[in-house]
Amino acid sequence: MSAVKTAHPPVPMGLQPTPFHDRIAAANHQRGWMNWMGFASASVLDTVEFEYFAIRNQATVFDISPMMKYRIAGPEAEAVMNRLVTRDIRKLKPGRVAYVIWCDEAGNVVDDGTVFRLSDTEFRLCCQEPQLAWLDDIAWGFDVTVEDVSQGVAGLALQGPTSFAVLKDMGLVGVETMKPFDIREFKVKAKALTVSRTGFTGDLGYELWMAPEDALTVWDYLMEAGHLRGIRVIGYEALDMARIEAGFLLPRVDFVSSQTHLRPGRARNPYELGLDWLVTLDKPHFNGRRALRRLALEKPKRKLVALEIDRDKAAHHALVYHRQKKEAGFVTSALWSPTAKRNIAYAWIDAPYADAGDDLWVEIYLQRELIWQRRMARARIVERPFFRNPRRTATPPADF
Amino acid sequence: MSPDAIVIGAGHNGLVAAARLGQAGRKVLVLEAEDRPGGLLGEAGGLRVAAMPAGLNPEISRTLALHRHGLRYGKPMTTIALGAGAPVRIDGGRVAGVDAATAAAHAALHRRLARQAGALGRMLLKTPPRLRDGGIADLIALGRMGLSVRMLGKADMRDLLRIVLSNVWDLLNDEMGDGPLAGALAMDATLGGAMGPRSPGTVLALLYRMAGQGAGAPGQRAMPQGGPEALIGALVKAVEASGGAVRTGALVERILLGDDRVEGVRLAGGEELRAPLVLSNAHPRRTLVDLLGVAGIDAEDARRARVMATEGMVARLDFTLSALPEVAGLTSADLGERLVVAPDMQVIETAFNAAKYRELPARPALECTFVPGEPPRLSVSAQFVPCTLKAGWTKASRDRLAASVLAVLEEAMPGIGARVTGTEIATPADIEARFGLPGGHWHHGEFRVDQMLMLRPFGGAAQYRMPVAGLYLCGAGAHPGGDISGAPGWNAAGQALKDGRAAK
Repeated sequence: MSAVKTAHPPVPMGLQPTPFHDRIAAANHQRGWMNWMGFASASVLDTVEFEYFAIRNQATVFDISPMMKYRIAGPEAEAVMNRLVTRDIRKLKPGRVAYVIWCDEAGNVVDDGTVFRLSDTEFRLCCQEPQLAWLDDIAWGFDVTVEDVSQGVAGLALQGPTSFAVLKDMGLVGVETMKPFDIREFKVKAKALTVSRTGFTGDLGYELWMAPEDALTVWDYLMEAGHLRGIRVIGYEALDMARIEAGFLLPRVDFVSSQTHLRPGRARNPYELGLDWLVTLDKPHFNGRRALRRLALEKPKRKLVALEIDRDKAAHHALVYHRQKKEAGFVTSALWSPTAKRNIAYAWIDAPYADAGDDLWVEIYLQRELIWQRRMARARIVERPFFRNPRRTATPPADF
Repeated sequence: MSPDAIVIGAGHNGLVAAARLGQAGRKVLVLEAEDRPGGLLGEAGGLRVAAMPAGLNPEISRTLALHRHGLRYGKPMTTIALGAGAPVRIDGGRVAGVDAATAAAHAALHRRLARQAGALGRMLLKTPPRLRDGGIADLIALGRMGLSVRMLGKADMRDLLRIVLSNVWDLLNDEMGDGPLAGALAMDATLGGAMGPRSPGTVLALLYRMAGQGAGAPGQRAMPQGGPEALIGALVKAVEASGGAVRTGALVERILLGDDRVEGVRLAGGEELRAPLVLSNAHPRRTLVDLLGVAGIDAEDARRARVMATEGMVARLDFTLSALPEVAGLTSADLGERLVVAPDMQVIETAFNAAKYRELPARPALECTFVPGEPPRLSVSAQFVPCTLKAGWTKASRDRLAASVLAVLEEAMPGIGARVTGTEIATPADIEARFGLPGGHWHHGEFRVDQMLMLRPFGGAAQYRMPVAGLYLCGAGAHPGGDISGAPGWNAAGQALKDGRAAK
């Protein structure tokens, strides 16, 4: 058989540019890039400290175009979304967003993300990991279409205290009436712009969605409008600090998705993750419901907890001990929180120690000019999140 | 008064399950879509799909006291392989019509395989272990299962492990060479499935068939006196004797789901029947996808039910004859035995090659028997005939199939064609449509190593329990699967009773 020439374009090599790449590259003085779903995503543009404090004090722009986005539409779209996620999607009104998780048949978390209800019969799901095969399985037998629209939608996270003011200055009439998790359509410079009041920082913030071909027009206008509001482009490292403070978990970092784990027993369920509040057991059958009903009655074998640790050194990858002796768990994310002024972390703690009071210790290794030091620091289990500003929910937001 | 349990489908497995539940004091209602019980064993549309049953598992016959309900088995059937030369007669390990060396090689092989099949047979009336996460509990459960294999002794166990995943082509060529005898054994290894003699796993399929022992030697078929009808009749009587009832003409359209458990069934026409326990003798896919509905189960189970291998490859043809033929080398009594027309394994493999590409084979391999009566009939199972024929099941395709079968028959029994006065054809597609049986597959799913034991019908659903509480699978799609052993129905009823006791 002779080779058949196909019309498909060749698969591109290396990291791909997002629709905002030209502008971000110009601002990326550190030339710091990382791989996010095959796209070049900025890690640090100037210094992580500048960028972090801009999140907490000004307005920041982070390119979220590489996020996976799926369009689920059709007469039975609501039933399919309700079958997918553990929350009751019937209660999500058009024009609203919900944070959701979804589980496999064993009740283990597949991924988390946000559901945008665009109309009665159309949803958009945004998440970190590719989910098309999973969505196809969930939707099989229902009157619905599932489409990967990841590359058809460009996105920017505009976060920080002055983010509302920037949007107002852009002329988004009525944006002040948007409540958290609202979605609204606007026009800027004759381009369609969808705004949702959502984010990953625990602070006032919005996410802006547009067609890729309009991306640079919107970007330029946004930067112009934000100039006097301290707008700043940021990279992933600063955002990661903010998300730890804000109490958000990251797949592959804080837990392993049931789709990617290889070893038995590595996947985690919502009760272990402390995400019970996202699970509505008394709705019609959804994926994993039977397992979750059983798990809800059991005491979790381990729990992901928030720790507050003595002293100032972040406890990256540290082991957690009970009474400084018995190994009780390990840290997944750690940070000296500049805003909370506390040494914080997330850790997996085995069940018997999850209520151990203040007798937990974290073993922190510090390297100082090639010499390792070991430090046992006392840790206390505290409530998530570490940071949540009233600005986040105030409507209308203040005009900083 | 509503029944304690509803059984969907009055095939032999459904009836066995109902009788066992009835013996345990449950009031059972069996619902059958056809206007007569029997499922694939029963006559429907002019022919029966399972024309030549293997014997019901003796332990089941005994416990259900089927002899009291009139079940008698005749002499186990002799398999007569018709090829180019003289007919070869096979009675278990005894063979006539081949040279002494081949007969001796066959006898030795049969003894060996029978021992190994016996070890497998001990698993047939047991619920397979449940595999959870590959942890230590799974290893123990598997180990217990492996124990009966280990008990074979070192030499036999090693041999079993060596051949169990290999193919019957290699095994038979190694042990005795190709020919009508190998062809007949390869038929046993492949009939009903979508595997040719050279496909891996066919040795396991052969052992499995030998393990499902009926009245005769391992692997021998046994026809009840009075034909398949007598077996069905005895089973129906056993159900009724235990207080159960069989209702025909009742097509179940939906399994009713309450708060995570079954509540009964809805019939076509809207009538709803309530019961806390429902056993489905239907195909796993039909049970979960069509009757229960995917909205009530997790996506993983829906996917497994959807993608399980279940492409049927056997067409059934019944030829009405003006008179029984004279076949050289066969007595008139021989005509009622099991006649195999597969002169060697290569013929079977070549027939499979065509079916693999969804085409009709030029020379199908046949299993057939003459059914006395007025007029007499020749009942034929022809393989490999794909359910999803590329050209579609047009009249032309059906005619081609019938012509190819008759051409093969004519070679084996010259003059038979002239006696044919009528032809009934049931392609796998016909069987699928008629019985709601996906792929028209005899065994409700392929006998492959990844669809056996705790993986039958698929991983996570092996213990007869379906994902919804109170719903059980009792048909051939469940362990140990097809042919006419009755074991899936027996085991499913046992599991349901055990779970019921545990819940009390």
